[in-house]
Amino acid sequence: MNPLDELVDFKTGRQKRIIYSDPGIYEQEQEKIFGRCWLFLTHECQIKEPGDFVRTFMGEDEVLVVRQKEGDIKAFLNTCTHRGNRLCKADHGNSKKFICNYHGWSFGFDGKLNGVPLEKDAYKDQLDKSKFGLVEVAQIASYKGLVFATFDETAPSLEDYLGEMKWYLDIWLDAMPEGTELIGTAMKVELPVNWKLPVENVSGDGYHLGWAHAGAMTVSSSMSVGGLEVGNTSADNSGAVSVAGMNGHAVLAALDGQSGYGFYPDPTSAVDYLEKNRQTVIDRLGEYRGKKMWGSQINMTVFPNLQMLPGLNWFRVYHPKGPGKFEMWTWAMVDKQMPDELKQTILNNVSRTFGPAGLFDNDDGDNLQAITEQSRGWRTKQMDVYTNMAIGGEHSRDEMPGVVSEGLVCEQNQRYVYRRWLEMMKAKDWSEVPSYNSLEEARATEQGNG
Amino acid sequence: MGEQQASNEVYIALQRQLYQEARLLSSEQYDDWLAMVSENIHYAMEMPQRRFREDKGHRVPDKTPIFNDDMAALMMRIGRFKTGFVWSENPINSIRHIVSNVEVFEAELAGQYKVYSVIEVHRSRLDAERKRLTAGREDIWQQTATGYQLIKRNAVLDDGVVLDSNINFFF
Repeated sequence: MNPLDELVDFKTGRQKRIIYSDPGIYEQEQEKIFGRCWLFLTHECQIKEPGDFVRTFMGEDEVLVVRQKEGDIKAFLNTCTHRGNRLCKADHGNSKKFICNYHGWSFGFDGKLNGVPLEKDAYKDQLDKSKFGLVEVAQIASYKGLVFATFDETAPSLEDYLGEMKWYLDIWLDAMPEGTELIGTAMKVELPVNWKLPVENVSGDGYHLGWAHAGAMTVSSSMSVGGLEVGNTSADNSGAVSVAGMNGHAVLAALDGQSGYGFYPDPTSAVDYLEKNRQTVIDRLGEYRGKKMWGSQINMTVFPNLQMLPGLNWFRVYHPKGPGKFEMWTWAMVDKQMPDELKQTILNNVSRTFGPAGLFDNDDGDNLQAITEQSRGWRTKQMDVYTNMAIGGEHSRDEMPGVVSEGLVCEQNQRYVYRRWLEMMKAKDWSEVPSYNSLEEARATEQGNG
Repeated sequence: MGEQQASNEVYIALQRQLYQEARLLSSEQYDDWLAMVSENIHYAMEMPQRRFREDKGHRVPDKTPIFNDDMAALMMRIGRFKTGFVWSENPINSIRHIVSNVEVFEAELAGQYKVYSVIEVHRSRLDAERKRLTAGREDIWQQTATGYQLIKRNAVLDDGVVLDSNINFFF
């Protein structure tokens, strides 16, 4: 039996606490998850012109993402190939070249090494500059504005990696003809938390909303969201779904077509926008997505570390910084065609709900920090934690892909996220990683524990 | 600098006001704080992004908003604290607002003053957890019949990455 099987039990919904604290497990994650999966780099709107760049991370690897002369995008490790200094220290910008601060090696924004000081006097013209260009990612591709890359040349195509999750992503990325854009730059927070905890939380944990966020919900709710109540006194699961079983990607969705704006004190302008454009969206995405999903409170998770909530309109990536630390980058994402005034309203609301001083976000940090800390003590870390709510409720629905369970309050999605985590951790390479996008495929590819 | 220094009398009065404000914020006396805040308040804070000095053609802004609040938004934040459901603030955490580098200038409108200050916030929470956040502030205070009122605050946090799990307080 693979010792990794001890860590996660998909059938019963159990995880070992050490997956949130063990340095050895974290090291393996860097290689097997962040070294292999497609990871979000940037939105195309952030680098429009040749030489526009952003500095970001793939796992703990620092990368520069640069728009090229011909309009394509390249991503390089942000490190000088000579002595390993960090090449670029700016978060964003436009630059025709990147010059290392240490010895002055100069790289073009296409990654080529163009200039080496004292090339003639000291290197005697013997340095083959063509061998010292910046190191590129193995694959880079975009899906409807979102740019992803992977370090693994054997990884499936981005389209295949996203699989049926594309059907859900399109509810935001492709609802309106001109697509989406990020507003401005990321709000960044460093948290002393294991990176998996926010991912599992947003992937499926509707359970915590009415309790952990009771204070924020009390002051900001203007309409019902997925049948949840302040204080978790009751939950009506009939009008919402949890969807997973799509290679680790997951969705929580209310089905009312407007509750995404439920945590706006005055949702009028947003709801007006929805109703004015709903027919356009129905024409593009069909009745079901256009009527029931566009505008609803939806949580989308792209495994392993990208999450977005249309309606609340935040867009977020988590960068791991060791077993007990990550950086969280949050943007407001909007439809390009939204009126400027609504975009500003949305930006304000994203800051106010899920920014560093966000009414909701400020409830989560301490809980997730405490869980990380409670996976360290010698005796405590021998314990398990559970995602065993609503086991057996998984089913298929004709109207939507993936494995479905009823309601936002349900732990199906977390179980599937950890199942994917285990599959990636156990596989020697991509040929051993199962692929499934439906209940039948998920069952057929389920690996037994032991 | 081209800016007209306020009189010593106004300077002392506004410095006194900032100290009092700091004490009220540190002791969570939010209703008393709101009494010195104008109905038309614009309370904003941003965090910086790192850019090369020579890079002037920014296609995305070089600051990111954290607060961009009017009175209704401030009331909503304070309302959340009052619900008794903000578990991270129970038990009570220690917090100190330290104000310094106060400068007061005449603003464009009569009876209004532009006030620069530096704010340092110390927080002591669970066990040995201790946080320190600093920001520069640019305020407009208005002289009224009942005292000075804050009508505008633009704060800029010094960190490009916030090093705390929440900002359950005001700067």
